Amino acid sequence: MKTLYRFLLVTILLSLVLSACTTTAPSTPAASESTVVIRAGTGDGGDGLTPHQQIIQNFEDQNPNVIVQLEPVSGRDYYARLLTQLAAKAAPDIMQIGDDAVPSFVTKNAFIPLDTYLKDSNFDASIYLPGLLEPGKIDGKQYLLPKDYSPLAVYYNKKLFDAASVPYPVDGWTWEDLLATAQKLTLKDPSGNVTQWGIQLPAAWTTGFEYWVAAAGGSLISKDGKNFAGAMDSPEVARAVQFYADLYNKYQVAPQPADMNAFGGGNSEFANGKAAMMLFGRWPQGGFKTNPNISLGVVAPPKDKVRANILFWGGFGIATSSKEADTAFKYLSYVSGEPGAQVWKDWALPAVKSVADSSGLSKDPIEGVWIGELNYLMPRAYTFTPYWNETADPALRRVLESVILDPNADVKGLLAQAAKDAQAAMDKLGE
Amino acid sequence: MKEYSTPILQPRGWRRSLRIVLLVAVSGLFLAPALWMISSSLKPDYEIFATPPTLWPINPRWQNYAEALTSLPFGRFAVNTLIIALSTIIGHLLSCSIVAYGFARLKGPGKGFFFVLMLSTLMLPYPVTMVPLFIIFSKLGLINSFVPLILPAFFGNAFYIFLLRQSFKQIPLDLEDAARMDGAGTFQVLLNIILPLSRPALATVAIFTFQAAWNDFLGPLVFLHNQSLYTLQLGLSLFRGAYNVQWAYLMAASLVVTLPVIAIFFIAQKSFIEGVGFTGTKI
Amino acid sequence: MNDTEINLALRSLHQKEALSFYTAIAPWLVGFCLFTAGPLLISLGASFTDWDLLTNPRWIGLENYRNLATDPYFAQSIKVTLAYTAAYVPLDLVGGLLLALLVRPRLKGIGIFRTIFYLPTVFSGVAFVVVWLWMLNPNGGLINLALGWFGIEGPRWLLDPKYALWSLILMSFWGWGRSMALYLGGMQSIPGELYEAAAMDGAGSFRQFFAVTLPLLSPTIFFNLVLSMIATFQSFTSAFVATNGGPLDSTLFLVLYIYRQAFEFFNMGYATALAWVLFAIILILTLLLLRSQRFWVFYLGERSE
Repeated sequence: MKTLYRFLLVTILLSLVLSACTTTAPSTPAASESTVVIRAGTGDGGDGLTPHQQIIQNFEDQNPNVIVQLEPVSGRDYYARLLTQLAAKAAPDIMQIGDDAVPSFVTKNAFIPLDTYLKDSNFDASIYLPGLLEPGKIDGKQYLLPKDYSPLAVYYNKKLFDAASVPYPVDGWTWEDLLATAQKLTLKDPSGNVTQWGIQLPAAWTTGFEYWVAAAGGSLISKDGKNFAGAMDSPEVARAVQFYADLYNKYQVAPQPADMNAFGGGNSEFANGKAAMMLFGRWPQGGFKTNPNISLGVVAPPKDKVRANILFWGGFGIATSSKEADTAFKYLSYVSGEPGAQVWKDWALPAVKSVADSSGLSKDPIEGVWIGELNYLMPRAYTFTPYWNETADPALRRVLESVILDPNADVKGLLAQAAKDAQAAMDKLGE
Repeated sequence: MKEYSTPILQPRGWRRSLRIVLLVAVSGLFLAPALWMISSSLKPDYEIFATPPTLWPINPRWQNYAEALTSLPFGRFAVNTLIIALSTIIGHLLSCSIVAYGFARLKGPGKGFFFVLMLSTLMLPYPVTMVPLFIIFSKLGLINSFVPLILPAFFGNAFYIFLLRQSFKQIPLDLEDAARMDGAGTFQVLLNIILPLSRPALATVAIFTFQAAWNDFLGPLVFLHNQSLYTLQLGLSLFRGAYNVQWAYLMAASLVVTLPVIAIFFIAQKSFIEGVGFTGTKI
Repeated sequence: MNDTEINLALRSLHQKEALSFYTAIAPWLVGFCLFTAGPLLISLGASFTDWDLLTNPRWIGLENYRNLATDPYFAQSIKVTLAYTAAYVPLDLVGGLLLALLVRPRLKGIGIFRTIFYLPTVFSGVAFVVVWLWMLNPNGGLINLALGWFGIEGPRWLLDPKYALWSLILMSFWGWGRSMALYLGGMQSIPGELYEAAAMDGAGSFRQFFAVTLPLLSPTIFFNLVLSMIATFQSFTSAFVATNGGPLDSTLFLVLYIYRQAFEFFNMGYATALAWVLFAIILILTLLLLRSQRFWVFYLGERSE
C-alpha cells in the first residue's frame, strides 16, 4: 500500500515537473523591465504571413524595446479561437478581423475607440484611399484601421479573346455587354459539349452577390435594418437573381460550379484556360499572373441600372482587454500606415494613397482598376444589421443554390420565401 | 495471456487466388486517394485542377516538398508535437494502469457508478467542454503552454482505462492470489505481475496516444497561441490562407507529417492487434 | 475468534479494500472533477444563458431549449446526423468485418495489407478531406472519370442535395480499418478447438463462419457498434471542410450547426444547449444498446465480476 501512495506521489510530481519544464521552454520571451510584448492575432496564412513578419521585423528594429508576437490561425478557425480567447479575456492586443465582423465585435466592446490616439499622435487618417476607413467606423467612431481590401472585378484572358477575335471588355460596359461577350466566347465542339466557357461565376457566394443587387439598384434589407419584405423580394433583386441564374442555366455561358464554396479551389475553369472571364475579388490574382494558361487583363464589373461595387476589407484594432494599449497603437499606426503599406504593396493593394501612387499602382493597367473601383462602393448588407449572418445570409444562400441547381426555379417565389425566412429569424432574435 | 491460434483452414487453390485478387483490388481502392495526394503534391498549384485531370504531373516538382517543409518552421513544430506526444504517453501509461487495475480487481462502494460515469464521459461532445475548459485554464494562467494538453493525461483517459481494464481482467486470478499469499501488496502485484503480462495492451495505449497527440488539432488550436509552440497539425493549417490555399504544399507536408504514425503502426502492428483482443470480454 | 471479532475483522478488511480501490482510481477521479465536472457544470449553466462570448452571459432560463424545439435548422441537423449514422455504422460494421476476414490468415506479407487498410484511419487533417473533394469533383474528378470509363455518367456528388450526404458516406469507407483492427483482435480470442470441432462435424468454411466466428465475435461487434455510433454522431470535419453543411443544408451535421451557432452567430448559450441535447441523445442510444446486449451478444467463458 505504501508503495502505491509513493507511486501516486511520484506521478503527480512528475506531471507537475514536466508541465513546468515545457511552459518555460520554447514560449514567450520573458518581458524584462523595459521590453514590452505585444500579441497580434491574424487570420492570414500561407505566404500571406510573410508581409506580417517583414513588417514586424522592421518595427522591432526601429523599436528595440518592443517585441511583437504574431499569433496566426488560418481560415475560419481563427474566429473560433479569437472568440474563445475573448471569452476568457485573454485576447491578443492587436486583433485583425474582417469587415463583416466589425459591428458585432464593436457593439460588444471588444475594441477600444481609436479617436483619442489618432488625435494625440497626429495620425493623419486622410492618407487612405477613399472608402477604406468606413468599414472600421461605427457610429462615427474609428475602431479599426485598414489592412487590405478588395472590391470585385472581372478578370479576362487575353489569349482566349484574341483567339476568338473578340474585343476586350471596356470600362463602363453593361450587363448586356457581359452577356453578349460571354456568348461569343462560349465554344462548343461538334457533339455539343462546351469546350470553353464565357465566364466563371462564384457559385452561391452570398456576400459577393451583393454586387449584383447593388448594380440592379436594389437592396436586400430595409434602410433601418429591420425588414426584408419589399427589399429582398423586390423586382430589382429578382432581376439580379434571374440574370445570374440565366447566365448559368438559360444562356449557359457559365459552367456549373464544381464546388458551391467559391473559395474551395474546386472551381478552376478560368485558371485552366477553360473560361474566358471570371468575376471575383483580387485574391487569386497573384496565381493568375504566373499561370501560363492566362494572359491577364482586368476590367471593372459591368453596370446595370447603377454603376456599383462592394468592398471586402480586413483591418486591425486594439482589444479592450489589452494592457499595453499605448505600445499597441504604436504598432497599429505602423502596420496600417505608410511604413506598413510599403511592405503590403508587394502582396496586396496598399491602403495608403501615397504608396499606391508612388509605386505606380494607381496607374497600373491591372491594379489601377481595383483602386479605381473604390469610387463606386455601395454599403455592404451587414452594415444595416448585426444579425445579417444568422438571418438573411442562410436564406440568400438557399436561393442562390436553388437557382443554380434548378433551371426551372421560380425566382420570385424563392425570394418571397427567403424574405419570410429571414424575417422570421430576425423576429425571433428580437424576442 | 492465452494465445489462441487463428483458424486452421489455410486457403488453398482458387480460394487463395481469389483472396489475393481481392486484396490487391481493395488495396487499390484504399490507396487511390493517397496516390492522388502524392500526384497532386508534385504539381504546380494550377495543374491540380486541370480538366481533364492529369494522373501524373507533366513536370513533377520534387522541390515542392523541400519548399513546403521549409516555408514554415516544421522542425520546431515536430519537436513540439513530439514533446506533447511523449509526455502524454507517459502520463497515460502511468495513470491509466493504476485506475484500470482498480476497476478490474479492487472492490469498493460506488465502483459500478464510477465505472459507468467514466464510460459516459466518452460520449461528451467536445463543444460542451471546450470553452469552459479554456476559461478555467486561462484563470490559472496556464494557456499558451503545453500544460493543458499534457496535464490531463496524468489523470487517466476513459477509453484507455477501459481498454486496460478489459485486458487486466483476462489475467488468471490465481497468479495474483499466489502473489498476495506471498505478502505482495496491491501495487507490487500490479507492477510485477499484471503489467508484464499486459505488454500488448500497454503498447496499444501508447500507439493510440501517440496517434491522437500527433493528429490533435483542436487542443493545440485553442491552447497554443504563440507560433513557436505550434504543433504539426496547426502548422499544416497555416497553408490555408483566408482566400488562398497553397494546395501542393499542403498535400506534400500533410503526407510527410503522417509518415511517423504510419511507421509506428507498421512496426508495432502485431502488438497492436493482440492489444485490442480484449474486445471479446464482457464490458 | 468469536462472531463479533470476525465481523470486525471483515469490516476492517473491507475498509482497507475500499481505501485501496479509491486510491487506485484517485487519478481519474481527481481529473474528472478538475477537467470534466467543472466545465460540465459551467456549460450546463451556460445553456440557460444568452452568451455571445464577448460580453457576460445573461440568464434567460429555458428559452434556449424552447427555441430548440422550433428551430428548423436543428430539426434538419438531427435528420442529417441520424441518416448519416444509420448508413455509416452498418457499413462500417460489415465492411470492417469483410476486411478482417480478408486479412486474417497469417500469409506472408499480409502485414502490408493490414497496414494499407488501417492507415487511412490515422490520416487526419484538412488535406485528406480536400483530396476527396477533388476526387468527387463532377467535372474533373477521379471518381467520375473512372465511372466514365464504364460509360456511366456520374452524379454531381457534393453539389447535388440528393447525393451530398451519400458522398460523405462514400468517403467514410476509408475509416473501415479501425473496426477491421478491432475484429482482428477479437478473432484472436476465438479458440481454435471450436473450428476443429466444427470441421469434424462436416461444416465447411462458410458454415463455420456463421456458427463459430460470428457468434463469438458478437462482443466485438457490439463494442464496434457503440464506439462507431458515438463517433459518428460527432462528425464534423468532413462537413466543415467539404460542404460547410450544404448544398441546401443536406449535410448540416449537428456538431457543425453547434460550431456555427457558437462561432459564426455568436450564440454560445444556444450552442451549448444544442450540445447538451446531443449528449443526451448519445447517452440514451448507448443505454438502449447496452440493454439490448442480452438479446444478441454472446460472451465466451464469463468471468465473475
